[in-house]
Amino acid sequence: MLKKVIGAVVALVLLVGLPSFIYALTNNKLSIGYNKGYMPEQPIPYSHELHAGQLKIDCKYCHTATEVSRHASVPSLNICMNCHLNVNVREEARPQIEKLQQAYMNNEPIKWEKVHLLPDHVKFNHAAHVRADKQCQECHGPIEKMPIVYQHSDLSMGWCVNCHRKPENNAPVGCDTCHY
Amino acid sequence: MQTRKDTDTTLNQEKAGSPKYWQSLEQWRQDPEFIKMAEKEFVSSPLSSDEGKDGWARREFLKLMGASLALTSFGCIRRPAQKIVPYAKRPEEIVPGIANYYSSSFVDGDEVFGLIVKTREGRPIKVDGNPDFPLNKGAVSARAVSHILSLYDPDRLTTPKKNLLNKERTNRDTVSVTYEDLDKAVVEALNAGKVGVLSKPVTGPSGRALLNEFKNKFKTTNYYFNDHTQGVEEKAQQEAYGSAVTPRYEIDKADFILSLGADFLGAHQSSTAYTKQFSSRRSPGEDMNKLTVVESLLSLTGSNADERYTVAPGEELNFVMALIYSLSQSGQARINSQVKDIATQFKAFYGQHKEAVDSVVSDLVKAKGKSLVLTGGLNTQHEQALQLHLAVQYLNNVLGNDGKTVKYRNTRTGSWGEVDSLSQLAKDIESGKIETLIVNDVNVVYQLSSDHPLQSAIRGLKNVVYVGDRIDETGQVAHYVIPVDHPLETWNDHEPFDGLYMIQQPTIRPLYDSRSFEQSMIQWMTLDGATPRYAGDESLWFEYVQNYWKSNITRGSFDKAWTEVLQNGYYDSSASARDNNLPSRNFNESALRGIKPVSSKESLVLYKTIGLRDGNLANVAWLQEFPDPVTKICWDNYLVVSPKYAESQKLKQGQMVEIKVAGKQVTVPVHVQPGVHEKAVGLAVGYGRSAAGKVADGVGVNAFKLAKFDGKEMIAAGLDYELKATKQSVPLASVQDHHSMEGRQIVVEATLDQFMKKPSSGIHKHKVFSMWSKHKYPGHKWAMTIDLSKCTGCSACMISCQSENNIPVVGKKYILQGREMHWIRVDRYYTGEPENPGVVYQPIACMHCDNAPCETVCPVIATSHTDEGLNQMTYNRCVGTRYCANNCPYKVRRFNWFDYTEIRKPTEMALNPEVTVRARGVMEKCTFCYHKIRGAKEQAKQDGRTLVDGDVKTACQEACPADAIVFGDMNDPDSKISKSLGNDRTYGLIEEVNAQPNLKFLSKIRNTKKLKNDHAGNSGGHH
Repeated sequence: MLKKVIGAVVALVLLVGLPSFIYALTNNKLSIGYNKGYMPEQPIPYSHELHAGQLKIDCKYCHTATEVSRHASVPSLNICMNCHLNVNVREEARPQIEKLQQAYMNNEPIKWEKVHLLPDHVKFNHAAHVRADKQCQECHGPIEKMPIVYQHSDLSMGWCVNCHRKPENNAPVGCDTCHY
Repeated sequence: MQTRKDTDTTLNQEKAGSPKYWQSLEQWRQDPEFIKMAEKEFVSSPLSSDEGKDGWARREFLKLMGASLALTSFGCIRRPAQKIVPYAKRPEEIVPGIANYYSSSFVDGDEVFGLIVKTREGRPIKVDGNPDFPLNKGAVSARAVSHILSLYDPDRLTTPKKNLLNKERTNRDTVSVTYEDLDKAVVEALNAGKVGVLSKPVTGPSGRALLNEFKNKFKTTNYYFNDHTQGVEEKAQQEAYGSAVTPRYEIDKADFILSLGADFLGAHQSSTAYTKQFSSRRSPGEDMNKLTVVESLLSLTGSNADERYTVAPGEELNFVMALIYSLSQSGQARINSQVKDIATQFKAFYGQHKEAVDSVVSDLVKAKGKSLVLTGGLNTQHEQALQLHLAVQYLNNVLGNDGKTVKYRNTRTGSWGEVDSLSQLAKDIESGKIETLIVNDVNVVYQLSSDHPLQSAIRGLKNVVYVGDRIDETGQVAHYVIPVDHPLETWNDHEPFDGLYMIQQPTIRPLYDSRSFEQSMIQWMTLDGATPRYAGDESLWFEYVQNYWKSNITRGSFDKAWTEVLQNGYYDSSASARDNNLPSRNFNESALRGIKPVSSKESLVLYKTIGLRDGNLANVAWLQEFPDPVTKICWDNYLVVSPKYAESQKLKQGQMVEIKVAGKQVTVPVHVQPGVHEKAVGLAVGYGRSAAGKVADGVGVNAFKLAKFDGKEMIAAGLDYELKATKQSVPLASVQDHHSMEGRQIVVEATLDQFMKKPSSGIHKHKVFSMWSKHKYPGHKWAMTIDLSKCTGCSACMISCQSENNIPVVGKKYILQGREMHWIRVDRYYTGEPENPGVVYQPIACMHCDNAPCETVCPVIATSHTDEGLNQMTYNRCVGTRYCANNCPYKVRRFNWFDYTEIRKPTEMALNPEVTVRARGVMEKCTFCYHKIRGAKEQAKQDGRTLVDGDVKTACQEACPADAIVFGDMNDPDSKISKSLGNDRTYGLIEEVNAQPNLKFLSKIRNTKKLKNDHAGNSGGHH
């Protein structure tokens, strides 16, 4: 009896599930393994809309390694403290800033949720793209309008290659560009 | 067609008799088993029945694969949540993704390295040589590179421990103690007096000063131990010249080098620096040096010899004396009558070996004042070791080498141990002079024979405090064990030569609750109310080092000088003094009295291997899987016997034999080794650890046990033994017979004379036609050459590559199945007769062929050609068909049969984040250090310049002590690689298949009259 039930379920999955799965995949209804739109909650609700949008702080003020390293780098707390040791903040934000200051004083790093995740086996270099005058927004989207950061692009290989292929970008397209 | 004909000739040649170049005795004999194996592409298949035993039956494997596939298909709509944890306070010098480099140093027994340590985000990941340091000049040994893995050794001790020993002094239980309790107990014992300190050599001026202060404070007696050959050379110098120095040998100034058992390119002192010096004179031409080796076993040095003679163990002395006899007879050197009389005893030996002795004498005389005679090492540590050293130094003296190639000023300083220091310690313990012993990182219980009196004496002591990185064999008999900082975790300084100071800079905070020996001494002194002279406010060892340098070494502004020292890694105040020629000293001939001929007898010789040496790094898996350059066997020690001896005793490869020396017995497998004297059998030390950790324990047998205590010292060579064959046999994990070149001529050799007449001697250029349209290489095109004349086979490149490229270790079982993962291997070919063959080494990595055979067969285009001439692997495309490995004529592709990435913590910290860690089922191979090319390009762009020659250095090239490897852009006509490719000696491997390899070789030129393979007097080569 049990075997029959299992058999029926498997058959159902194969007959209905699989074709719809393939349909979804091939028609861009489903992007498997990519995380476009991923918007996790952060331990401190830092707002790019406020800092980058309203206050117009340059991206590179916090993401210091963008021009020299593969990683843009998430700022260490001492960068936050450059301002937050002095400036006044809105009443409702005060507990969060206190949390930040506490962490800094206790030398305890904040564990941020990683938003942008490249597929495995890919090497990406921020410095190279910044050097080619790419704007942050071209990949990260309207970051200055994001109260909570989400993944704007799907960061899939097709997405990378589309841009690399444009003649005006004069970018390499060999496998070794990203995979090594 | 030319190609066809070539192949035919080779085949015919093989059929006609033994091949000219061979890799194993099985191949020499054309053993049917060997032929069967050589014909197979892969040594093992996934379907082999053996798999099931390991729980990896293929069916099981597919089931697991199926399950994980299902998981990945449906499970990954939700991303894996990951965290980003930036610093709270980022140190100024650390930028995520950017490597930092620090100068440091490494002392390996009696070898000192200046290092550049690469760190990423605060963790050291790679060790390279410091190119400016006068000793190793950028070169490293396999052991120095492995230094990084010993830092992350999971078996390191993490906290101080107390052993609860029972009456028999075996450990009942080990408990943790606090430093507070431990220090209290130690200070109490120190105040009770009768304290001995047994230390490894203290090589730094600060350490020596501190140890002296400690000695005066607590009235300790100090003993030093380095290895069993310690002090012999000094003692010989003392007797001959009246001052006990360890001379500096200037190999690069010698036109002719005679080594009597000294493995100066392998496991001898300073062998990396010596390799550098030796190979600097190996470019063929007028300036090329010549090396003759006289030995009983086949050492790495012997295998690099231009001429080599074998003698029975101990007969090295006879050989030197026969040389002196011959010189005295011909009057080619001034030899006084007293010595003449002694040498006359060796007339008979001279008569038997007239040809060899005369040939060496003529070379020595030709290079008077520019020759060098060397001896030493464990394999010469027989009963007449002192006489051998004396005779050798006498020979150097009468040939005018003293003061020229043998320097006796600005030599090694410090306390390196005297001939009988350990037996003295044993005596002092027995007489009650010592009740408490502090052992600083010397594993005496492992390294001493079981009949050495210290073995029982140390177990009878009231207090033993052991300072070491694990509870090893000696740690087990100690009451307290203090975990010591790894050298990469602590400050120190060294003085390898008088006036040459170097700094050991930590590159990471101590991973565990460990403390350096020096910090312990400062702690104990301050606890007892004393203030060490150079100690700072916080009583730190670092302050002590700094203050010592401030008061004694640097001049002028200290801050500036200190920064400079940290940048350079050393401070040299004796460079010109070391370079000057010195006057020859007067040799006290009466020291030679008592030299008698050594009788030729069958005996056992213990020797050190280049990988494990005395076994202190035995728990480093890279070194266990490091094939010995000569035998090509890893994961074991074995009794090395000559083919003749094996035949007479009916011994087979891998057969277990019982070796008995004076009642002590071990059971080891036999390895039949060409080039070994028929009266010698050899056994490597460094194996058979019982308390080193998970990797080393139980691998091989402890050969130190077999050494003989003669009342003063340990005798390691010329040991009488009994051999009993057993019926068992074990397979030896040799990497040699896989990678067979199928009888094709791969290495090209010629003599110096042939080279002088025709530089391209021996190289046969093939006429090939190509069906391929050529690739275009508009920008760079990367290529490499390896000079076989320079390469000594030391295999440092292998480990450097392993460290750089995250190459896994697979273990003995899979080595036996031919699944080793090394991206660069060093093939070893014998030429000539098995009694005393010639040896050629040839490092082989991916050739990055223009017409790469692997690229055309990959069904998923996982391996492709870049426009810079690289043959590239895209790991995530690879589905593991292994077609590419099948089609590779050079057998350089490696397959991940299993997931080797599950590494015991914290070893994963040694991984290089710039190189992908490969998963199961993926093919991999040498990338020409592609990530380094990218890194260099990135850096050049950052600096706003174009890439220049020398910007990119591959890991193997950086490590190579022989400077045999050249890498660069062949599209740049002025680059070193372009010049090297244009050399007449340059040739490609198996060029007839038209793969157009971009790794080329420079032929091996030997400074000798006749090559070993020269049966018919032709010039080597293909026909």
